[in-house]
Amino acid sequence: MDKQLELLRGTLDMLILKGVSHGPPHGCGVLLRIQQISKDRLEIQQGSLYLALYRLEHQRWITSEWEESENKRKAKYYRLTAAGKRKLLTETEKWNRMADVIAGILHTTPGKV
Amino acid sequence: MTLWNRIHSTLRPIVWRSQMESEMDAEMRFHIEALAEEFMRSGMPREKALRKARIEFGGVERIKEECRETRKFKFIEDLVYDLHFAARVLRKSPGFTGVAIVTVALGIGANTAIFSVLNAVLLRPLAVNSPSQLVYLQEQWQDIFPGLSVGNFNDVKTESTSFVQLCASHDGGFNLETQDVPERVDGEYVTANYFTTFGVQPIAGRVFTEEEDKPAHPRVAVISERLWRTRLGGESSVLGKPIRINGVATPIVGVMPKSFDPLLAKVDLWIPAAFTPAELADYDNHYLNVIGRLKPRVTLGKAQSELCVVAQRLAAAHPIDDKDRTFRLQPLTMALLGDQRLSLRMMLAAVGFLLLIVCANIANLQLARARTRQKEIALRAALGASPNRIVRQLLVENIVLGLAGGMLGVLFAFWGVGWINAHGPAEVPRLNESRIDTWTLLFAAGVALLSSFLFGLAPALRSGSTKLNEVFKSSSNTVAGGRERFRNFLVVAEVALALMLMVGAGLLIRSALLVSRVNPGFDASNVVVGRVGLAGPDYRDPQVARQTFERMVVAAAALPGVESAAAVSRAPLAGLGGTNGLLAEGKPLDPSNLVDARLQIVSPSYRSTARLQLKLGRDFTPADTRERILVAIVNETLAHTMWPSENPIGKRFACCESGPGGRMDPVWHEVVGVVGDVRAWGLDRQVRPEFYIPLLQMPPAAWDWVGRTMDLAVRIQGGAAPIRELRSVVASVAPGVPIYHLSTMQEKISGTLERANFDTFLLALFAGTALLLSSIGIYGVLSYIVAQRTRDIGIRMALGASRGQILGDVVGFGMGLAGLGLAVGIAGALVATRVLSSLLYGVRPTDILTFCAVSLLLLLVALAASYLPARRALQIDPVVALRYD
Repeated sequence: MDKQLELLRGTLDMLILKGVSHGPPHGCGVLLRIQQISKDRLEIQQGSLYLALYRLEHQRWITSEWEESENKRKAKYYRLTAAGKRKLLTETEKWNRMADVIAGILHTTPGKV
Repeated sequence: MTLWNRIHSTLRPIVWRSQMESEMDAEMRFHIEALAEEFMRSGMPREKALRKARIEFGGVERIKEECRETRKFKFIEDLVYDLHFAARVLRKSPGFTGVAIVTVALGIGANTAIFSVLNAVLLRPLAVNSPSQLVYLQEQWQDIFPGLSVGNFNDVKTESTSFVQLCASHDGGFNLETQDVPERVDGEYVTANYFTTFGVQPIAGRVFTEEEDKPAHPRVAVISERLWRTRLGGESSVLGKPIRINGVATPIVGVMPKSFDPLLAKVDLWIPAAFTPAELADYDNHYLNVIGRLKPRVTLGKAQSELCVVAQRLAAAHPIDDKDRTFRLQPLTMALLGDQRLSLRMMLAAVGFLLLIVCANIANLQLARARTRQKEIALRAALGASPNRIVRQLLVENIVLGLAGGMLGVLFAFWGVGWINAHGPAEVPRLNESRIDTWTLLFAAGVALLSSFLFGLAPALRSGSTKLNEVFKSSSNTVAGGRERFRNFLVVAEVALALMLMVGAGLLIRSALLVSRVNPGFDASNVVVGRVGLAGPDYRDPQVARQTFERMVVAAAALPGVESAAAVSRAPLAGLGGTNGLLAEGKPLDPSNLVDARLQIVSPSYRSTARLQLKLGRDFTPADTRERILVAIVNETLAHTMWPSENPIGKRFACCESGPGGRMDPVWHEVVGVVGDVRAWGLDRQVRPEFYIPLLQMPPAAWDWVGRTMDLAVRIQGGAAPIRELRSVVASVAPGVPIYHLSTMQEKISGTLERANFDTFLLALFAGTALLLSSIGIYGVLSYIVAQRTRDIGIRMALGASRGQILGDVVGFGMGLAGLGLAVGIAGALVATRVLSSLLYGVRPTDILTFCAVSLLLLLVALAASYLPARRALQIDPVVALRYD
């Protein structure tokens, strides 16, 4: 396994929104899903996950509901709201543009300037 | 996200705190177990998996704490902490805290006191059932608004459909003989539905029946609780028993509660109006107060338009009486209290200005303090306090300050209201009901909070944005340009507000001085006046009434120390009195040709007793009897109005009665003299046309117009007023008849000025406080600047700047601020003082003299306030100043 990358500041919210968007998971599920997709290359503080979840809920980008989990236990499941979906779209687009720009800058060789 | 959502999700954790705590707990426990299951799936034993999961998750309590922070769990705890901290900080600088609290208390106290007066006089609903449905009906003729004639009232009542109830009343004075000394009581003649219109029940007995409101029925009375308690011992046994009212034994049928004073006239007695058929056919005498209760869903405008139709029919049916006459309908509250609005609002504006000045001053103090507290705040920021947290902490500090000031302010207001109740003008209705109640306390709390934000927000926001490195980098001389500009702005605003208040007060003072120098038109010194009403069957004969007054005049004139005595229907300043329409000879009889003039019936000695100036012609003599030609004396205003640029002597006018040929048969009065105008309504009131008729020629009907009531005027040689002697003169001539409103003319004059002088005094007090506060503001800013620039000044002095230059700089800066404030204030005052114009006498709201005097005063005070810090600047020792860092 490669060494885990530390999360870039401000990207956790976006990742959680993405994680939630794949169908309603519970808190732990969001984390596992992100780690699974990233193939365990990202290091996410478990605690900061809840901070972010509550913050996103407070901002009404996600909502939560207590439901029964697959092993018949009560768990809190999160869902994207309409505002959350829009937020995810704009954030994704912003990120892509930013990544392009930065990649463009970093790939410039001295001769091109 | 809507505001509501935001509030909801912020408040929810506070309200359902324990539920959220347990949910959070359950969620995290589930997380750890789910994680452990994940590990177990890769073959880890359960115990080990759980431990690994816990380690990976991290400290549950720490995470919960962080979550609580996000979810505003800590709101309350932080607030409590902030309050403790604020109290500690404020206690640590008692000087600042003391000054700030007292200043805030001044502002809030003044506002609360004035608000409680406003609340009592204007805002508190009348003590009747659903006052908003009640309307007051008057006639409108030319520019005057008389009451309704009985005929008009009766027709409106039968023809209109807008009212559930329409009732009428007219004032009456009653001589009450319940104890040894007869007493004069203000009362009203009312229609039977008067009490039901207001929807107020008697506390004992009953109100009038329709039967009792008929002329044939023996007279009965309803009395006020006050009269019942003070004169009749408050016993319910008085019900049904007769008391002597106007010489007639009258049974009392009911007692109305103390609060029942629907027309704010301090009335103690009600008698059924019991209109006679002759009165019901009278469209000529306009004197009824008419109050209606609108039907539900009938608007004022709808009722008004219906009345217009009635007015047109009345004008067609009674052309002499009702031509060009319309009705004016207004809400009862407006009719009764409309006059009080202007000056009360002016007072509220004045105290509002004062509060703004207070806030500016404290904001200034806070900004100065913020500088010395910079390091403390920077340290807290460095230790992890967010800017929000710091702003909140500083705001809480200011709110504590504001609330402490508010509490002291309520104490001030308590004294203020007590003082206003004791010294306020008696003519303002309900003024004595002012008190500190729930509404006033809520108002004070609101003002305290609002002002806390006003004076706390700017300093707090500035401190919240304190940059750590700037504070520690620079030693003690950070120059925050923005902050200084803001402080200067505050001072300019203070000066401007203070100037506006001072101009307002100055105008009122100048107006009051001018009024006090107005010539009343008669010699008011050494004149004593009292009213006598000859009521009852003994005096029904006009002959008897006249002879009784004549005997009183003779007896009073014979008193030792009395120069002369006279009778007059209304002495100057003794109230409005009735008016008559006068028709100059040679003009066709049409209402538009009538000149409305006040009738004065006088004994022949009146002009010489009051010392009215005879401008033309002759005075009345005892020979002017009804057998001779009818004569009249007019005042100059009437002479100018009726016969502009002609000699009025010998001219004739018709008025007051009709000849044997019926209503169209005029009775002529010949003008024999012209007297100077008398300020009969008050020194600051406009003179209106007025005419005098000798007592001996008085038309018999006029005894009913004046209610057989006249003023006895006595000119004394000096010394004390012969009050007791006059009482016994009246008692000996007319037993059982009281003399009332007995006082010197000087006292009556100051009584009419009481209101204006009170307003002037209060406004001057507020303006003085404003001046003091704004000069403190100038002083504060300059002291701060001098302290801050100690080093600069030291350097300049070391480099050879003269003391004069330094002094000039500092004083010049202060005067610059004052000058700017002055300019803004003058501009504001030019706009604001316009509302004062109706309160001013002989002064225009833009009076140059007042503006100049006030500006000069303000500049002088500003100069003094600038000089003190400047002198401190001069005492700076360059050596010390340079070594300072």
